[in-house]
Amino acid sequence: MSNPYKVTKKPLLPPAVSAVLSLIVPGLGQLLSFRIRRGLFLLFSFVSIIGLFIWRLQVIAHREIGLQAKFVKSFSREPFFIVFICAAVIALWIWIIYDAYKTAGGKNEKGLGIFVLVLIMFFSLGWQISEINLGKMIREFPEAWPPLSRILWPWEAAVTRDTSSVTAEAAILVDDTANPPAIPEYIEGEPYIKSTPTFGKMSTLDEKNNMVLGDIIHLEGSGFEPDTLTEIYWEDSIGNEFRPRQDGEYVSLVTDGDGGFTFDLVIPYRLTPPSAVGQQIHRVQARQTSEVGPVKASEPLRLTIVLMLETIFMGMMATFFGIILAIPLSFLAARNLMSGSWVTVTIYYVIRTIFNITRSIEPMIWALIAVVWVGLGPFAGIIALTIHTIAALGKLYSESIESIDPGPIEAIQATGANRLQTIMFAVVPQMIPPFVSFTIYRWDINVRMSTVIGMVGGGGIGFLLVQYIRLLDYKSAGIAVWFIAITVAILDFVSSKIREKFV
Amino acid sequence: MLEIRNLTKIYDDGTKALKNVSFKVEDGEFLVIIGLSGSGKSTLLRCINRLIEPTEGEILWNGKDIAKADGRSLREVRRQIGMIFQHFNLVKRSSVITNVLSGRLGYVSPWSSILHHFPSEDRKRAYDALEMVGITDQAAKRADELSGGQQQRVGIARALMQDPSMILADEPVASLDPVLAHSILGYLEDINKQRDITIMCSLHYLDLVQQYSSRVIGLRDGNLVYEGSNADIRKMTDDEFKEIYGKEAVRVNAGSISGGADE
Ligand SMILES: Nc1ncnc2c1ncn2[C@@H]1O[C@H](COP(=O)(O)OP(=O)(O)OP(=O)(O)O)[C@@H](O)[C@H]1O
Ligand SMILES: [Mg+2]
Repeated sequence: MSNPYKVTKKPLLPPAVSAVLSLIVPGLGQLLSFRIRRGLFLLFSFVSIIGLFIWRLQVIAHREIGLQAKFVKSFSREPFFIVFICAAVIALWIWIIYDAYKTAGGKNEKGLGIFVLVLIMFFSLGWQISEINLGKMIREFPEAWPPLSRILWPWEAAVTRDTSSVTAEAAILVDDTANPPAIPEYIEGEPYIKSTPTFGKMSTLDEKNNMVLGDIIHLEGSGFEPDTLTEIYWEDSIGNEFRPRQDGEYVSLVTDGDGGFTFDLVIPYRLTPPSAVGQQIHRVQARQTSEVGPVKASEPLRLTIVLMLETIFMGMMATFFGIILAIPLSFLAARNLMSGSWVTVTIYYVIRTIFNITRSIEPMIWALIAVVWVGLGPFAGIIALTIHTIAALGKLYSESIESIDPGPIEAIQATGANRLQTIMFAVVPQMIPPFVSFTIYRWDINVRMSTVIGMVGGGGIGFLLVQYIRLLDYKSAGIAVWFIAITVAILDFVSSKIREKFV
Repeated sequence: MLEIRNLTKIYDDGTKALKNVSFKVEDGEFLVIIGLSGSGKSTLLRCINRLIEPTEGEILWNGKDIAKADGRSLREVRRQIGMIFQHFNLVKRSSVITNVLSGRLGYVSPWSSILHHFPSEDRKRAYDALEMVGITDQAAKRADELSGGQQQRVGIARALMQDPSMILADEPVASLDPVLAHSILGYLEDINKQRDITIMCSLHYLDLVQQYSSRVIGLRDGNLVYEGSNADIRKMTDDEFKEIYGKEAVRVNAGSISGGADE
C-alpha cells in the first residue's frame, strides 16, 4: 500500500501554476502534484458544499427569481448561516490555493485543520437542512405539556366504575304556537321536569353565521338527587340527542337540598332536517349520572393488556418460525461448510446475498408488504418479523458456524463419519452457546419490533397506540406506552440473564 | 500394508508441500516422520486419510488406492485408520464419553447415532478404551475440563474405538511436557506392540524418535530425504542430520534438535 501522504512522483507543475489551477478548480493543483486522494477530497468537498449551499438558498428563498435575489433574501432570513458558510467557503478556497502552492513545492502538510473546517461546514449545512429548531422545541413546550403529562401519568384512565343515570323530560313545540304539548304528568317521588311555556322559537344563524338567540323557557325540576350535578340535554324532532351550550359551556346545574331546581334555558340552535314537516316537537331533558358499583379496569386498560399479550406472542411466533427456517439456511450460508465445489459455493453466495438484502429492509417495510398480502392484523406482523428474523439469524448463525474450531470436525471426519454425523457431533455442540444467545437476543428484538409493527397495520399494541394518538386520547395512549416500556424492560432483563448463563 | 507412490500435494496457493514422495509402511511398524516445521509432515499424514486431497500419486492401502476412494468407500477406509492430533481436537463442550463414542461413528447406523444412541457393546468398548488409558473416572466430565495429557488420552481412546489397523499421529506430544510425552508415546507403543496396530507418527525430538520408532523417514521441503531403521537413527551422522534439518542446524546434544529455520 502506498501512503497517500508520500509524494512518490515529482509534481508536474511549479508552485505558482498549481496555485492558479487550484484557484480555478479547487484541488486540481494537488491532483497534478500527484496528491490524488487529497486533490479528490478537496474537489469533492468544495463542489458538494457549494452545491448544497445553492440548494439551501433555493429552499430558503423559493419565491425569489435569480441567484442574486435569492441570496439577498436568504441573507435577510438567516444571516448567521449565510455569513458563516460564505466565510468558510472563502477560507477553504484560500487554503486550497495555498496548499496547492505548498504541495507543488514538494512539501507535505497534514492539514488537519482543513478537515475540521470541512467537517464543521457539513455539520452546519446538516443543521440547516434537517430544520433543527431548538427554539421551537422550547417555545412550544407549554402547549405540548398537557397531552404529554397525560401520557406520562395516564393511570386515572386505567379504572372506571359503572354509571347509572336518572332522567326526566318535557316536550317543547318549536317555531310554532298552535297546540303546544301539555306539561308532563307529575308522579310523586319520581324525577320531574316541566317547562313554561312549552313552546318557543329556536336559536338560529343569520347570513353572517352569527347566532341569533331564541326564546327562553323556564325549567322547573324536582325529585332528583339533592346537591348533585345535573346536565341538560336536548333531543330534536327526529330523536337526535345533544348537549346544548350556553356562553360556550355545556349547560349544567346543581340541584338544591330538596333535589329540585329552576333554570332559564335559551332554546338551542339546531338545523332541522328539510324533510321535517308538521309540528316540530323537541324534548328537553335533565339528567343525573352517578358512579355505582366497584372500581374496575377500564376499556383502554383491558384492550392494552390483551394487545400486549398478542404482541408478545407475535414476537414469539416470529422468532420460532425464524429459527426453524434460519437453521437449515445458515448451514448453506457458512463458507467453511460450502467451500467444497462450485455448486456449493454458488449456493453460499446466493443465500448470503438474499440474507443481506432481506436484512437491510426494515421489518416495518416488510409489514407494509405483508399487509397487502394477508391483510391487516397480527399475521401480517408475524410474516414481516419472520422474514427479517430468518435473514438476521441466518447471518448470525452462519457466522458462528464459520468461526467454529475446524479441529474437531477433522477428527470426526477421520473416524469415517458421514456429513450429517459430522455436523451433529462436531458442529452442533460448538454451535449451541452462540445459537442460544443469538436466538434470545432476536426474541427480544422481535417483541420490541412487534410493539411498533402495528403502526403500519401489522397487529399488536402498536395498532392500538396509533389509534389512541389519532383520537387525541392521550391517557389511553399513555397506558399503552407504559405497558410497552414495562414489557421491554422486563424482556431486556430476562434475555440478558439467560444469555449470561449460556456464554 | 500401506504404500505411498509418487505422492505430490500442491496447495491452492501454489505451495508444493509434498514432492513425489514414495515409501512403504509394513504392518506393525512404528514409523516416525521427522523434519523441520513446514517440511510437509502434517500434509503427508492428512493425505493418507484424505483430510487433504492429494494432487497426484497413489496411496495403496492393502492394495486399494485411498486416493481414488470416495463417499462410502472413503469412509470405510477412514474408519480403519485412527488419527491423533497435536491439539487433541476433542469436541470441547461434549462429554469425554461422547468424544470417545464418536470414534464409532463410521460403524454405527447414521440415524440412531445422530440421536446419540449407540449400541451397548459400543458403550462397553468405550469404557474399556478409557480404562486402557486410565481415565474412566473422567468419563462424565466435559472434555475441556480435562488437562492436556488427559485430553490426549481421550484422543487415543477415540482412535481405539475405530478398531483401527493403523493410527496416524500428528505431533501427538508437541503440546505436552516431557513426562506426559513419554506417557502418551508409551500408550502408542503398547497399542503398537500388543494390538499390532501400525503407527505413523510425526515427532520433533530425536530422543523420543530413538526410543519409540521402529523405522524413521525424514522430510525436507516436501522431499523424502531420509529412510532408516531404529538402529540407523541411533547412529545418525552429522551429514544425514544436516540433510534433514539444513546446513545451519546444530545438534545441541544427542537428543534434541535445534533447527536453523523457523519455530
Ligand atoms: N492449507 C494450506 N494452504 C496452503 N499451504 C499450506 C496449507 N497447509 C500447509 N501449507 C504449507 O505446506 C507446507 C507444509 O506444511 P505442513 O503443515 O505439512 O508442515 P509440517 O511439517 O507439518 O510443519 P509443522 O512441524 O510446523 O507442523 C508449508 O509450507 C505450509 O506453509
Ligand atoms: Mg504439522
